[in-house]
Amino acid sequence: MQVEELVIGMAGKGGDGVVTAGDVLASGAASEGLNCFMLKSFGPQIRGGESSCRIRISTEQITSQGDRIDILVVLSWEDYAKFAAEFVLKDGVVVLCEEKDEYLTKGIPVDERSLSTLYRIPFIQITKEKVGSQLVKNMVLIGILCGLFGFSKEAMVRGIAKKFGRKKETMELNLKGLNAGYEYAVGLKKTDPIEFSYVPSRPNMILDGNEAIAYGALYAGCRFFAGYPITPASEIMEWLSRELPKFDGVMVQAEDEIAAAGMCIGASFAGVKAMTATSGPGLSLMSEMIGLSSMAEIPLVIVDVQRVGPATGIPTKSEQSDLQQALYGTHGDANRVVLAPSDVEDCFDVTVEAFYISEKYQLPVIILSDQFIGHRKESIKMVELMEHNGFTKRFERIHPSIEELKDYKRYRFTEAGVSPMSSPGIKGGQYTAVGIEHDEYGCVVSTADNHESMNKKRFDKCHRIREEFHFIRKYGPEDAPLGVIAWGSSKGAVKEAVLRANEEGIKVSALVPQIIHPLPFKKFEEFFRPLKKAIIVELSYSAQFLKYLRSHFHLPFEQITCKRSGAKALSVEEVLTQIHKAAE
Amino acid sequence: MTVQYSPLDYRNDVKPVWCVGCGHFGVLNAVYQALATLQLPPENVALVSGIGCSSRLPGYVRTYGFNALHGRVLPIALGVKLARPETVVIGITGDGDALSIGMGHYPHAARRNIDITLIMMDNGIYGLTKGQVSPTLTEGEITKTTIYGNIDHPIDAVRFALGCQTSLIARSTSLDPKHMAEMIVRGIKHRGFSLVHVLSPCVTFRGREQYNWIREHTEPLPESHNPEDFRSALDAAYREDKLYTGLIYQEERDDYGSRVSALCERSQSKGILTLEELARQFLI
Repeated sequence: MQVEELVIGMAGKGGDGVVTAGDVLASGAASEGLNCFMLKSFGPQIRGGESSCRIRISTEQITSQGDRIDILVVLSWEDYAKFAAEFVLKDGVVVLCEEKDEYLTKGIPVDERSLSTLYRIPFIQITKEKVGSQLVKNMVLIGILCGLFGFSKEAMVRGIAKKFGRKKETMELNLKGLNAGYEYAVGLKKTDPIEFSYVPSRPNMILDGNEAIAYGALYAGCRFFAGYPITPASEIMEWLSRELPKFDGVMVQAEDEIAAAGMCIGASFAGVKAMTATSGPGLSLMSEMIGLSSMAEIPLVIVDVQRVGPATGIPTKSEQSDLQQALYGTHGDANRVVLAPSDVEDCFDVTVEAFYISEKYQLPVIILSDQFIGHRKESIKMVELMEHNGFTKRFERIHPSIEELKDYKRYRFTEAGVSPMSSPGIKGGQYTAVGIEHDEYGCVVSTADNHESMNKKRFDKCHRIREEFHFIRKYGPEDAPLGVIAWGSSKGAVKEAVLRANEEGIKVSALVPQIIHPLPFKKFEEFFRPLKKAIIVELSYSAQFLKYLRSHFHLPFEQITCKRSGAKALSVEEVLTQIHKAAE
Repeated sequence: MTVQYSPLDYRNDVKPVWCVGCGHFGVLNAVYQALATLQLPPENVALVSGIGCSSRLPGYVRTYGFNALHGRVLPIALGVKLARPETVVIGITGDGDALSIGMGHYPHAARRNIDITLIMMDNGIYGLTKGQVSPTLTEGEITKTTIYGNIDHPIDAVRFALGCQTSLIARSTSLDPKHMAEMIVRGIKHRGFSLVHVLSPCVTFRGREQYNWIREHTEPLPESHNPEDFRSALDAAYREDKLYTGLIYQEERDDYGSRVSALCERSQSKGILTLEELARQFLI
């Protein structure tokens, strides 16, 4: 059976190297011009524990992790059990597993009727005998996948070189493992029906959401980053700690999140584009700084790579439940913008936009990413990333003119609510930035009238932003009576479900805003017009997004909520089932 | 040198909110004096403060200023200094701002040795919230929140600063703005993190007698004191009956900014990249 797409699931103990195997497989495939989508899932341990990954490889564009596993590789059944709920197996699944696994005596926990082929492979023995080290079981595994399913071994060599190229000995050991696996597979009697075939083309880039955000920030001109380590956002800080200094930028690992956001506000006050990145618990600590950035009108970009909450929640898994915090967190009437990337490429685009908006309108912009996008790898065409449809621009802050400096009013009332911003070094532009209510000069004023006018000044920016930005994605026919509304990483499953339903002849469309606050009302209202019913999809137990939409719109159609807690990625089938039900 | 700036040139027309007789007027005058002594162009100075009576000070100076949030002086000041190293950054804080809510930031600013001068105005009381106990208040004192007498042991700012590896520590009082200006000048000239601890009375909640208390309990450091000797600094800081004023401790060590520049140079040792070249790392 010739296929052009495969979903491979791998599970093992922490240390078995399944995630590294996934990395190699995905980057090897991307180097052949294939499209990849890779998810990792771990237990919360530092070392040991369990880990898994899931890679979808296709000759076509892909937007989600794919629903069902075609090939399952299990290095330890005991650990597989912890991910069984995340892995839905295809009818006719091919399973490769370690021959010596004690668990096997009890029989494998996979429905035998759905199993097409089971390969019991002596991974440990091959590795010991042919490589002389136990470490590269995962490369033996890659070699076997190449031998059985037609992946190019040369591509995997490139994948290994990307991962270990700098360490000669490790590199050699890994290559030995790859070859041993490949030889074993060639000598093996192939009994499964899968034949993966593709024509190699120009290599794709492969990166995860956190890398895309970090690179996007650098690209947008960010030269100051301060942060505090937190899962699943730390990779942004790690990447920038390596790359920022090359561009004369500064990275500070602060003493806490409050300090991190404060440092960014200080740097931004001084005229340098600044960003911090955190996850939900860190965003809670940063709340006071969101208010300060809003009140003192100082540009600030905050990334929240959401994890499961509240409190410590599940640090290594994804949810969309920080929405309310991003929208409303902090005291007082504090204006802010909330953007949400919906895939890895968006992480780049949205970050560049975040700097654009923040600098132009002088307010805090929160980027709501999540673990699901932050930690997953996707292949992207190099040109697409660099050109990204031309809608992203760099923006340089407006400084006061010589005329304005004669009687400089930092918080001057203007039509757009934005006042030219001076920074240290500019003669005559001295002012005191303040978190306390103030007049146009920045002097403390506590009257009710002034507070009202200043609130208006700050909030008027939102009307402008609403008019200027329409980051929204729409799928499906314009006049569909059934709609799906989702945000952030839910897009992958939603888009695929809607397109599949369209193929089945169901008239359904989808709307996914990348700007969550202020909502682009016109675009929403246009989308609402033909609707009789809409399914609102989100990974939030309390349906935060649905409630938010209700607070802004009358919603003159039947609303069906497709919500649940996170930890498990949203599947295409879940959304499709809802579409089928609603379309009946 | 021809004098370009007089203390008056750093003054603006905003009227301070402080009570008549407040020690902070002395600090304000000392700041004007110090800036004039160093002939610093007002546009190259940034005064960053937190919240409290003390922290209103930047609003009364014609330099750049930032009156931020309670306790957050140091992170914001650090951001300003790293982003614009040529700016002279002065932190303005009070005992509550620096040693209660903002305490967690202090050791980190000190260990990094960021080149800023922190002026800490200490009166042992929360004045802006009208009279609650502060972490530096002596045991037994009565305030609005310690009506049976303060049962907390006080923090001594100078002893704390020594423990945090602050690279310059000086103490002065609002009774002597001239001396205070000298200490601020020493702090600004010092390359690294400097603390000028100022005893600045609150006449409203501690009463005029706080002036007398300061007069009785302070004494200039003896001529023989060697501020470069950590042990002598410790001895000076731990004297029981009196608080010494003057330059208590000073050590030379790399400041954060120069470490950051050196790190940037190291990272560029293999040549300078463009953003497009950098993106190639995502390709194989």
